[in-house]
Amino acid sequence: MKLTERSFVLLLLLPATLFLAAFVAYPLFLLIRDSFFEVSIYAPSERVFVGADNYLHALNSSRVRESALRTLNYTLIALTAEFVLGFAAALLFNAMGRRSEILRTIFAFPLMIPPIVAGLLWRFMLIDNIGIVNHVLEHLGIIADSSDISWLGDRDLVLFSVALPNIWLTTSFVALVLYTGLQNIPSELIEAAKIDGAGALQVFRRVTVPLLRPVIAVVLILRGIDAARAFDMIWIQTEGGPRFASEILSIHIYRNMIRYGNVGEASAIATLFMIAMVLISSIAFFTIWGKGSSQS
Amino acid sequence: MKSSLAERAILYALVAIILMVFVFPYGFLVSTSIKPPVDALAIPPTLLPQRISFDNYTIIGDFPVVQRSFGNSTIIALLSTVISIGLAIPAAYAIARFATWAGKLFLIAALVTRLIPPVSVGIPLFAIMRSLGLIDTHLGVALAHSTISVPLAIWLLASFMESIPRALEEAARVDGCSRFGALFRIIIPVAAGGIAVTAIFVFLASWNEFLFSLLLSSTGVKTAPIAIAEFKSQYGIQWGTMTSLSVLYSFPVIIFSLLMQKRILAGMTMGAVKG
Repeated sequence: MKLTERSFVLLLLLPATLFLAAFVAYPLFLLIRDSFFEVSIYAPSERVFVGADNYLHALNSSRVRESALRTLNYTLIALTAEFVLGFAAALLFNAMGRRSEILRTIFAFPLMIPPIVAGLLWRFMLIDNIGIVNHVLEHLGIIADSSDISWLGDRDLVLFSVALPNIWLTTSFVALVLYTGLQNIPSELIEAAKIDGAGALQVFRRVTVPLLRPVIAVVLILRGIDAARAFDMIWIQTEGGPRFASEILSIHIYRNMIRYGNVGEASAIATLFMIAMVLISSIAFFTIWGKGSSQS
Repeated sequence: MKSSLAERAILYALVAIILMVFVFPYGFLVSTSIKPPVDALAIPPTLLPQRISFDNYTIIGDFPVVQRSFGNSTIIALLSTVISIGLAIPAAYAIARFATWAGKLFLIAALVTRLIPPVSVGIPLFAIMRSLGLIDTHLGVALAHSTISVPLAIWLLASFMESIPRALEEAARVDGCSRFGALFRIIIPVAAGGIAVTAIFVFLASWNEFLFSLLLSSTGVKTAPIAIAEFKSQYGIQWGTMTSLSVLYSFPVIIFSLLMQKRILAGMTMGAVKG
């Protein structure tokens, strides 16, 4: 039997296609279908078509709006901290040259630590009174008493506190990827700019950042997506509390579905969440990436 | 570039501070796990154990559910690895070798799956697994985990296979090897290193996964992260045991990461950045 190249390629793609169709595309179809029905998790066969009601209800719900805003804030907090710290570390490694190798090895260490371990560990360190973080702060004279800051109990603070394990785990990722990018910038370009009289800051702004743009795009988008989708790290620390103050969208959707059994409404919110993710990351991709290519 | 002594001193001081902040949390976790259980909540907390005790570890013997959860996690991660690698090898080969619209479309589709919040797929997956009778089974959870790892594995493997010289297969084809023969006899053995790295990634993705396991398993095949998260006694969270379980649970992850440091970045960016 002779296979043509075309049918051979299709045959190779077939198993993975079938799998993704059955376990990714089909669930997404079910999700979108369910978003137009009133379905209870306890009696999934009794479904009532309600049109766009679930969507209207979700968009009008202040709790959904608040958790959408929280998702955005959480992502921005985590992403800003990771990017600033990670970029600083990458520049430091780059300045150190070969001597940074051991450092980078140590730095790579938290890369793969399970998210729930990171969440639990930070929860443990942030307990009021007995947590080590407050004790260190008290020792340094920053706070008067170890019960002064209630990291996970204060509604105004909790969104920052739940971002800490995320920042701890992934700053190294950002740093190492940006470092790889910096290493790939031809040193002649930097030298040439310096000979032309550019200062360190100018070299950074005019040469380093533009050339690093594609790598920055990859890092920001990947990290942004992962932070926005976060579930386990926050769930393990607060389950969305206190009084919903750390309830981001994925936790809200989970709770709406499992705790309250509103499959229809949870599906509508999940669909909106997904559309927003695709839109925001496409915009981010085209602005960061697109600018770079039009300049060069 | 020569730097002055003062510059170097500042550089190293900076590095030392960063490292302390960075490594400290995990060090504190390990240190707490070898303190006597009551010392976990001592006031003030101590950095290093005042007394060494392995009670936090031996006590795990009293919790068969927790012990079994480590076995469940291992079985599920292995199953998910076999499924994902088995599906991804042919697809990645097609994409890396034959520039067709189907391959390109596939690569983009695989990327888009990364944008999907797991909770969105999780809800309907629960219904699908229920109708297949796969709720609370190793296979059900492994299939769910594979929805995350198949796209990842395809991207990674495609980038590994692209670096294999075409001349190798062409020579085999001239010698009368079939198309499938070339894949099995030439590509897979040559790409074995890349396949191993991808397999480790897929294994760890399943080992670390939380939400799908939470949705799809109950008492039967509860995975380690769920058992750890639920590990509370009637007196609330037992922090001592929590730290020893966390150390045990993250142990394989750390070993694997140290083994393949150089490739980690490639894996975490789906091959977009080569470390």
